[in-house]
Amino acid sequence: MPRIDGGGRDQTIKAAFEKKAVCRRCNVEMIPKKTFFDYLGHNFHTEILCCPECGEVYIPEKLVKGRMAEVEQELEDK
Amino acid sequence: MSFLEEFEKTLACRCRQNEPPFCQAACPFHLDIKGLEEKWKKSRFNAAYRTYQNAVGFPGIVAKLCDRPCEKACIRAKIDSSVAIGLLEDATVRYAKRKTPNAYNLPSKGRKVAVIGGGLSGLGCALRLCNKKYEVTIFEAENYLGGRARSRMDAAEFDKEIENQFQFETLDRRMGERVSSLDSVLKEFEAVYVATGEKGEMFGLKPSDEGAFATTTPGVFTGGAVLGRNDMEALADGLDASLAIERYLKTGGMNEPFRKKGTLLEMNTSLIERKEAVLPAAGAYFTEEEAAQEIARCEKCSCDACMKACDLMRLHEKTPRRIWEEVYITIHPGTLSRDGTWATRLITTCDQCGLCKAVCPQHIDFGEFFLQSHRAMHNKGAMPWPFHDFWLRDMEFSSGPAKVCRRPEGVERSSYAFFPGCQLSASDARYVTKTYEWILSKQSDTAVWMTCCGAPVEWAADEKKHGEYLEKLKKEWRELGSPTVIFACPNCRKQFEQYLPDIPGVFLSEVMEEWGIERQSPESEAEFSDTYAVFDPCSSRDFPELQQSVRRLADSLGICRESLPYEGEKARCCGYGGHIGIAAPAYTKRVAYERSAESSLPYLTYCVNCRESFAGQEKDAVHFLDIIFGINGNKRHLSTVTERRQRRMEAKRWLLENCWHETVEEEVHMNLLVEKELERKLSESQILVSDMEQVIEHCEKENCGSLDPETGHVTGHLKIQNITYWAEYEKISDDSFRLWNGYSHRMNLEGE
Repeated sequence: MPRIDGGGRDQTIKAAFEKKAVCRRCNVEMIPKKTFFDYLGHNFHTEILCCPECGEVYIPEKLVKGRMAEVEQELEDK
Repeated sequence: MSFLEEFEKTLACRCRQNEPPFCQAACPFHLDIKGLEEKWKKSRFNAAYRTYQNAVGFPGIVAKLCDRPCEKACIRAKIDSSVAIGLLEDATVRYAKRKTPNAYNLPSKGRKVAVIGGGLSGLGCALRLCNKKYEVTIFEAENYLGGRARSRMDAAEFDKEIENQFQFETLDRRMGERVSSLDSVLKEFEAVYVATGEKGEMFGLKPSDEGAFATTTPGVFTGGAVLGRNDMEALADGLDASLAIERYLKTGGMNEPFRKKGTLLEMNTSLIERKEAVLPAAGAYFTEEEAAQEIARCEKCSCDACMKACDLMRLHEKTPRRIWEEVYITIHPGTLSRDGTWATRLITTCDQCGLCKAVCPQHIDFGEFFLQSHRAMHNKGAMPWPFHDFWLRDMEFSSGPAKVCRRPEGVERSSYAFFPGCQLSASDARYVTKTYEWILSKQSDTAVWMTCCGAPVEWAADEKKHGEYLEKLKKEWRELGSPTVIFACPNCRKQFEQYLPDIPGVFLSEVMEEWGIERQSPESEAEFSDTYAVFDPCSSRDFPELQQSVRRLADSLGICRESLPYEGEKARCCGYGGHIGIAAPAYTKRVAYERSAESSLPYLTYCVNCRESFAGQEKDAVHFLDIIFGINGNKRHLSTVTERRQRRMEAKRWLLENCWHETVEEEVHMNLLVEKELERKLSESQILVSDMEQVIEHCEKENCGSLDPETGHVTGHLKIQNITYWAEYEKISDDSFRLWNGYSHRMNLEGE
C-alpha cells in the first residue's frame, strides 16, 4: 500500500505542518490527525491538519502537488 | 481471435523491423555487418576480428578471397557507391593485434566425426566441431589442405591461417588418403560430412529435404563445392553443417532447419543522403582512420520507419514488438502485483494521429491497435478516470449549455449547416460569428450547428457513449433538413467521415475557395507576416483535397507559403490529438515543442487546436480565419480553460441575439477578483474560475475552511464530481472576494 508520507522518503509531508491553520468555524488551531483517502479502489492514510472539534481539514498546495500527485500517478500506473 | 492475437499475427507476418539488412542477407556467412559497424567506427579491430572470426572461421582467407556479394547488395550502390565492406574486413585482419583463437580446456566429447575432403568446406566443418571437442578426422586425397581455394591466394599465407585457427585443436589429418567407399568410414565414425569439392565423389548419396545438409543416409551430411557452391558458400556450408551434425549426434535427427535466405526489408532510397566513398590513400587498403570514415557511410539499414516518425515510439524508445508485449500484459496482467499493467499510460498516450500507418511500408496501424486496447481497458474499468474526465465534462458543456443547432428564421430545410466544432469558438468567438456572417451572405439558408463532434468520447474509448452521441448527432442533422455540413475543424471532418459517412461534408476552406473570399478586414491592426509555413494538422492526413484547398486559399490571399518536413500524408500531431495532455503532460509538451521548432517561420494553421498548441509554445502562428477576418495576429496567449468556456457562451449569445433576435441572459457570477497569471496557473491543472467560485460559495455558506492567522486568507475545499478543489481566498467586502490560489487533487478524502 503506498503511503502518502512516502515511508520517510519524501519531505513534502513536512509541508503539511509548516503553516499554522485555524478552523474558521470553531476558531481552534488545527492539529495533525490520521486521515483516510481513497483513489482508484485503493485506500491509504496519512496525517494532515484537522480541526480537533469539527474535523475540518487543511491540505496545503505543496503536499497536493508533491507527494499526493506522486501517489496518484503511482496508482494510475498500477 | 481477439484483436491482440490478430495484431500479434500482423506483426509476425508483416512487420519488417527484424529483417536483416541487405548486406547481411547477401553474405553467405550472414555476417552481422551492422554489429561490426560500432566496432569499426571506434577502430576496435580486436573486437571486430572476434565477431568476424566467429562468422567466417578463417578471417585471413575470407578477407582475401570473398567476392563481396554484400557490396553489391548495399543500399548505397543505388545512391553513390557501396560501403567498402571488403576493405573493412581487410582492415580488420590487418589491424587486429589479437588473432590467436581462444583455447578452451574442455574434455573431449568422445564422439567421432569424419570429414571427407580437406577443402574450405571440410575445414570449416572440422574447425567448428573441433572447437566443440568432437574427435574429428579429415580425409584429404592431396598432400595439402585447402583444395581449390588454396590455389587462389598465396599458399603459405593460406596454410598459416589454417594452422593459426587449428593451433589449439586436435585434428586427425589423413593426408593423401582417398576414400573409396563410405561403408568403412561409417564403421569407424558416428557421422560424416562429405565435402569432396567440385566434381568430387558423392558415394551415391542423395540430398534429403528433411533438413539442411542432410542426405538420405542417416549420419551422412554433404555440402560445399560438390553441390556446386563457390568457395565462400562452400566454407559457409561447412561451418553451418557442423550444427546439423551436432544435432544428429545429440538427437539422432537429420532435421537441422534450413537457414532463411534473403530479406523482406524495404528502404526508401529518396531519404538517404549522398556520402562520397573514402578512397584509400595507399590504394589497396584502408588506414585505421579511413576505415572509421568509410563505415560512417553505413545506413545501418533496418525498417524503423514507424520508430523514426511516430513521436510515441521514438520518445518512448519502443519497438513494435515491445509495444505489443507491454499492451498484452497490461490487458491480461499475469499477476496481481503492480508489475502487471505496464502500458496503461502508454495506451492513453497515442494521439490517434495515424502517422504510423502512413509511414509503414506494410501499413500496420498502431493507432487502431492502441484505440482497441484503450477500449478493452475502458470496458474492464481499468483505465484511470482522470485521463479523460476533464474533456468529457468539456464535451458535456459544448454539447449542452453552449450548443446552438438552428436553421435561420423561416427556413424549413437548410442546404448547408456550419459546424464550427467545440474549440473554434473556445479559441475566439469571432472565428465563428464572423465566419457565419460571411456564410449567410453567400448562402442565406445555412444553419448553424455548434456542438461537439464526439471526439472526446471516442478518444476516451467509451464506445457506448460514443454510439449514443452519434445517434444524437444524426437526429440533429435530420432536424436541420439533412444539410451538407461545412466543417471548420479538420478533426470534426475526420470524425464525421469515419463514423457518420452518410452525412455529406465539406471543409470551410473548400467552400471559401468555391464561393470566393478576400481579406474581409484589410485594415485590421493584427500583425501578420508575409510568409508562413503551412502546418497540416494530423486529422487532415486523409483529406488531400482539404490540404490543397487551404494552400490555394493562402495563395489567393497573397500569402507566401513554405513547406514543413512532415506535411500532407505525413502530417504530425501538434500535441492536442487524443486529449493525451492530462495523462502524459511532459510528453505532450515535448511534442508541441518539437513541432514548434520544425521551422523558424510562423505557422499557418487550419485546425484551431494546432493554433492553440503553438500559442502554448509562444510560437508565432495564425489560423487562416485570422488572416481572412483580421482577428488575431501572429502572437497570442494560450487560452485558459475559463476563457474557452466564456468564449463559447459569447459566440452562442451573439448568434442568438443577431440571427434569432433572442436575448440570452448572462450567467450570474460572484464578484471574484482573479489575476490573469493565477487564471493561467489554474488552467494548467484544468481548473475553471467557476470551480473556484463554487468552492468559495460553499465555504461562505457553511462557514467552513481554515484560516491562516498570518494572512487572514481562508482556504477551503469542495468536491465537484470526481475532483476535490481547494481555493485560498480573501473576503474583500460582503459580496466580493479575491482569489489568492487554487489547486485540486484526484484522490478522495474519506467521507466526501
